[in-house]
Amino acid sequence: MSMFSRNDKSFDTNSGSTTPARDKTETSVAPLADTKRTQPPAPTTYEVATPQTRVVSVISKALKITGQLESTEDIQVDGEVDGDVRGVSVKIGSNAKVKGTVYGDTVELAGTIDGKIEAKKVVLTSTAHMVGDVIHQDIKIDSGAYIDGHCRPEYGKATNKNAHATAKPAATASSAPVKTGSVAEFGQRA
Amino acid sequence: MPALSQLALVPVPLGNNGAENSASHLGNALTVKGRLETTGIVHIDGKVHGQITADRLVIGAGGYVEGDIVANDVRIGGRFTGRIYARHVTLDGSADITGRIFHHTVTVAKGARIDGRMPWRPLNFFERLEHLREAQ
Repeated sequence: MSMFSRNDKSFDTNSGSTTPARDKTETSVAPLADTKRTQPPAPTTYEVATPQTRVVSVISKALKITGQLESTEDIQVDGEVDGDVRGVSVKIGSNAKVKGTVYGDTVELAGTIDGKIEAKKVVLTSTAHMVGDVIHQDIKIDSGAYIDGHCRPEYGKATNKNAHATAKPAATASSAPVKTGSVAEFGQRA
Repeated sequence: MPALSQLALVPVPLGNNGAENSASHLGNALTVKGRLETTGIVHIDGKVHGQITADRLVIGAGGYVEGDIVANDVRIGGRFTGRIYARHVTLDGSADITGRIFHHTVTVAKGARIDGRMPWRPLNFFERLEHLREAQ
């Protein structure tokens, strides 16, 4: 006798003379199927902070980065960077500080750079504070900008290209020291 | 006992500045090698190799972080390799984690891949971590 055949079950419910064991299987099966049907899809809501402007990466004023940043898109720096910054369009905000070289197609400086700028187009706004050389092809300096260094229109020239190529591996090697020692101790203890 | 669990659910801000203008976003084209320190929020869709210290950290579905994280609140939807030290950890279904997660409360969504341990720690463990971080 096939206990779980569909015909058998329907017959049982219709007749109303079910044994307790069969009743149990009925009730346990029914809600399972129900939940399967009514279960909402897994919540895939994910709070992604999509920036409204074209600026894709924002280093806010509260953020400090020790090391190098590299992007194939735009970067807005409002915080502090101790290391090199590479991007397409790099904007250094008025309260930002960068200690290192800033590379880009366009570099707009309103804050402080202690290092170097290497960009096709350089804009120094009135609040800019630049200590170091500026290697450019096209430069705009607003009244009030501070520059302590050379402005050289050598961007994209052969000698500069070599310097650009050799600077990169050196920077990667020097930016390695990431202090994780003390946190590691905690990890060991755990 | 209920008092303790209540306490655990309230995120304690580490910094004293407003969260709105201290939110950083690292886009998917950005690679950072080194340390990130902030008292605010960091959202990472790019790559980070190094230590991150923040109040709240979100690793987006396309993000990848390799290193240690010390934060109050961590949410991961991307890939992570290393150690997490956070009071509250949320792992989304798209998370792929290798390493250890030191937590007080944790939420793991269905589909998350975790290779490693998830040790529970009392709240004072994280307080000690903060002192340690400030001393660095």
